[in-house]
Amino acid sequence: MTNRHTALTLAALLCMGMTAQNVTSLKKVDVTARRRLKDTGVQQTVLDSTALRDNISLSMADILTKHTTLFVKSYGRATESTAEFRGTSPSHTQVTWNGMRINSPMLGTVDFSTLPAFFIDKAQLLHGASSILMAGGGLGGGIALETQPGQTEGHEAQLVQGIGQYRTFDEFARLTLSGNKWQSNTRLSYSTSQNDFSYINPDKKVDVRDENGTIIGSYHPKERNKSGYFTDIHAMQEAYYNDRRGNRVSVASWYSHLLRGLPFLSVDYKDDSDFSNECGQHTLRTVADWQHTASWWSTRLRAGHSWQRIAYDYTTTRQQAQTDITHSRSIAQQAFVEGEGMMMPHPRWQLDAQMQVGYCHVRSNDYSPFHQGKNYNRGRMEYTLGAQARWRPVGRMGLALALRQEVYGPDWVPTIPALFADYLLVEPWQLVCKASIARNYRYPTMDDLYFEPGGNSNLKPEKGFTYDGGIEWKRQWQTFTFGGQFTAFDSHITDWILWTPNVKGFWQPSNVKRVHNYGVEAMLHGQLSLPKTWKVGATANYAYTPSINKGKPTDDNDQSYGRQLCYVPRHSANLSVTVDWKDWTLGTGWMFYSRRHTTTSNEVDYITGSLEPYHRVDLSLEKRWSWKRAKASVKGQVNNLLDNHYMTVLSRPMAGRNYAIYLSITPQWK
Amino acid sequence: MHIHQRFCVTLSVAWGLLAACSDSEGGVPEEVFSHQGRGVYVLNEGNYNSGNSTLSYYDPEQKTIENGVFQRANDRKLGDTGQSMTLLDSTLFIAVENSGIVWGIDPRTSRVKGSLTTGQTEHMINPRYIHIVNATKAYITDLYAPYITIFNPTTFTYTGSIPTGQAVTYGYSSTEQMVGWKNRVFTNCWSYSNKILVIDTQRDEVTDSILLDSWQPKGMQIDARGKLWVITDGGYNTEHEGFGDNIPHLYRIDAETLVIEQDQALDADEAGVALAISNDRQTLYLINNDIYRMDVTESHLPVRPFIEAPIGNDGKRHKLYGLNVDPTNGDLYVADAVDYNQAGTMYRYKADGTLIDKFRVGINPNGCAFIP
Repeated sequence: MTNRHTALTLAALLCMGMTAQNVTSLKKVDVTARRRLKDTGVQQTVLDSTALRDNISLSMADILTKHTTLFVKSYGRATESTAEFRGTSPSHTQVTWNGMRINSPMLGTVDFSTLPAFFIDKAQLLHGASSILMAGGGLGGGIALETQPGQTEGHEAQLVQGIGQYRTFDEFARLTLSGNKWQSNTRLSYSTSQNDFSYINPDKKVDVRDENGTIIGSYHPKERNKSGYFTDIHAMQEAYYNDRRGNRVSVASWYSHLLRGLPFLSVDYKDDSDFSNECGQHTLRTVADWQHTASWWSTRLRAGHSWQRIAYDYTTTRQQAQTDITHSRSIAQQAFVEGEGMMMPHPRWQLDAQMQVGYCHVRSNDYSPFHQGKNYNRGRMEYTLGAQARWRPVGRMGLALALRQEVYGPDWVPTIPALFADYLLVEPWQLVCKASIARNYRYPTMDDLYFEPGGNSNLKPEKGFTYDGGIEWKRQWQTFTFGGQFTAFDSHITDWILWTPNVKGFWQPSNVKRVHNYGVEAMLHGQLSLPKTWKVGATANYAYTPSINKGKPTDDNDQSYGRQLCYVPRHSANLSVTVDWKDWTLGTGWMFYSRRHTTTSNEVDYITGSLEPYHRVDLSLEKRWSWKRAKASVKGQVNNLLDNHYMTVLSRPMAGRNYAIYLSITPQWK
Repeated sequence: MHIHQRFCVTLSVAWGLLAACSDSEGGVPEEVFSHQGRGVYVLNEGNYNSGNSTLSYYDPEQKTIENGVFQRANDRKLGDTGQSMTLLDSTLFIAVENSGIVWGIDPRTSRVKGSLTTGQTEHMINPRYIHIVNATKAYITDLYAPYITIFNPTTFTYTGSIPTGQAVTYGYSSTEQMVGWKNRVFTNCWSYSNKILVIDTQRDEVTDSILLDSWQPKGMQIDARGKLWVITDGGYNTEHEGFGDNIPHLYRIDAETLVIEQDQALDADEAGVALAISNDRQTLYLINNDIYRMDVTESHLPVRPFIEAPIGNDGKRHKLYGLNVDPTNGDLYVADAVDYNQAGTMYRYKADGTLIDKFRVGINPNGCAFIP
């Protein structure tokens, strides 16, 4: 028995990528954390609470913009914000919350503006092939969002209040009650804003006329963001139980209600007092999780359900008469049950398997006068089988094979395979080289297949082939830590599903595009602790992402072959720097996106054919206090410090320099 | 230099560099155009909700094209989804649907002379087409409003509205193109409808309507004999409910009696349909995948197309998007939207079908306005 325990302990250590003699060195312990067998060859970025807890007003869209190489296409705060990995489309980013896929079954995308960062405890970004370990169909990558039990003992509460310009108010409360084996975590937030920032509108001009009506001058008017208001409410309850004998049970339930105006275009001459264009969403997601961990095996059972109701109304009231232009209602539901097992039959081997059964259903209605009722009302079963084998033939090398089989209704998507490898090159630097290769498939969404009018039931799954390689390292000295990642990738997507306008007034999807994405992703981070309680930390990200249309030109007039995809910047970068001194923290963030083309032909001489490159700087200063029973802080924030005028999407102005202040109180008691 | 001094210097330099890179608020200098002789304006719809509609100017003598002339001349964008153009003497009216504005520009300089916005009217929502009744009265149709807006095209002032009597509960209540005949104006209800409305221009009232069997009347022309030609796109079929059968039809209706005299089913169309007429109103042109030409006295469309749509690399016909006839010489201007998301192409043919020129314009070129 003792021998068996010893072997299992060794296996566990090997599984975590360390050799027995390294255990004695604290420096080597870091190696174990980085080189888990489970992470063999995985290209990932992990956002922890430091990034996620910056301030209450930030959504996951803001976090991804500030701290990753993803391109977030956003119309402003609380407006639809989607994220693109490596120059792919938003529907090529698969997203899970506590293991449950939360991509809209209708659109295939996730609106990250609806996910407040304070409600996420960990975000793991899996780039390219690595996303297959999480879900199929992530042709660009995947994002795993998680809630986790707090590390505090006893009970703790946190109250945060934010007040910002444009009548913006953010309230957040968190109550954590902990016992020896259990924890209850309640989070509530309420945000509201008129979001009616002013801007000089370069797309309009007001003519000044004399008495005869002759134009004698003109100027770009100062306008306000019309219909940008929002009210966002979230409530989350989590319960955790750990019997300290290997069993952990948790339930998390998250309700949200978002009511937001859809901002007018900068070229819209309508009056927002006459027109109402708004979207209301109710969302309820629940996931239950049971895990059992033994010395050489573990098992996990998860089940979840999500329900979302979306109402979209575009109405006008003129002369006391209301005209409803759009009046759509849709309800999307998803449910899943997943079983997962992991075992280590040998110290150098780890085997994993998952089986998931899911069901999704969409009821989409459009109440036009002659279109009373259904766009569609459909449900489908979804099945997934996954298996991974990981092997460490020698201490420095890891190899992994992953297979995934997905079934949507009656359709079997071809098996998704992926291979991963890594090798520890220089141990003191924890310098690891990694590589992965995968074929991936994304099955069409419910709207792609069934939406009427336009849905195309003959669509084929999108096919992706991707491979990448790179290095990562981390070195720690007495007062200085320095690390980074550098990855080069190459990816080919065929049968890309694209919705194009139809001359009869609606849009239709078809498998038309062939796209070649390639480029590099780089990340550097460092932290320096100086005498006299100074500490400086910095993280920089850069991505170069050519995303080239290689589809056969439709005809001689088609100039899109070999051109960059619309709205994909070739270059993006960001930098975050924090300077701590005693109880003070000065933080600054800078982000940059290069020119984005708005036409498939990339014509730069075409007036509205591209959006100018832009950068943005944010600055914050925080002061903290700590007492025996409570902590408190005050934080001032300046967004868009340089007051740059920019647009991330055509005709969608973004806010200029604006200010906010946040107060936080965290009482603690045993 | 102490470390904190170095830090401050570095910060200052970085700040200066970033501030220097800041975007300016101003637009671009206004260009001065002086278009001489005959010219052709091409309206490019752009993409819905993108605000990238543009205006191109083509010189048919020199065969030169200037794109984006509205913005270049006026330092402002044309707007979102330019729908149609109508010329009245020295003013070219442009209805920009989703911006809720009708511009009036000087066709020689492309400079704005005036505008009419939704806020200046009682009912206008999304202006689609403009019909000049006389120098002091013009009609504007609407995609959503169950009203036709009346305005003075000389002063750009709103003067009234005509209720169409169409359904107002939810969604569309569209009126589209307009053609005049004596004291009548006909307008087709395109979106989710199958009606032609008849307006009395003296009373400014809808006085009658014509119900068609085929859905979504898309275009209209009136010939020299007082026959109203209507082309439908046939609506579309869905699994749950039908808005037609996807089969376009060509109707001939007597403008006096409102009797449907001719009804011909056309080929199922993947590209859209369009109708145009020669200046003498004796020859009809239409897009039904290819381009057809027929004398208005004929009872059927010819079997063979007048001009075949170019065939693409995928073996499919180009999706022709717009059809216009130059009233001065009968030249045909046919728009190809390519993939609907890049600069489209305009083909120019002689009246006998010979290709004269081909030029790139803006996104989704649709209508032309011919400046004499």
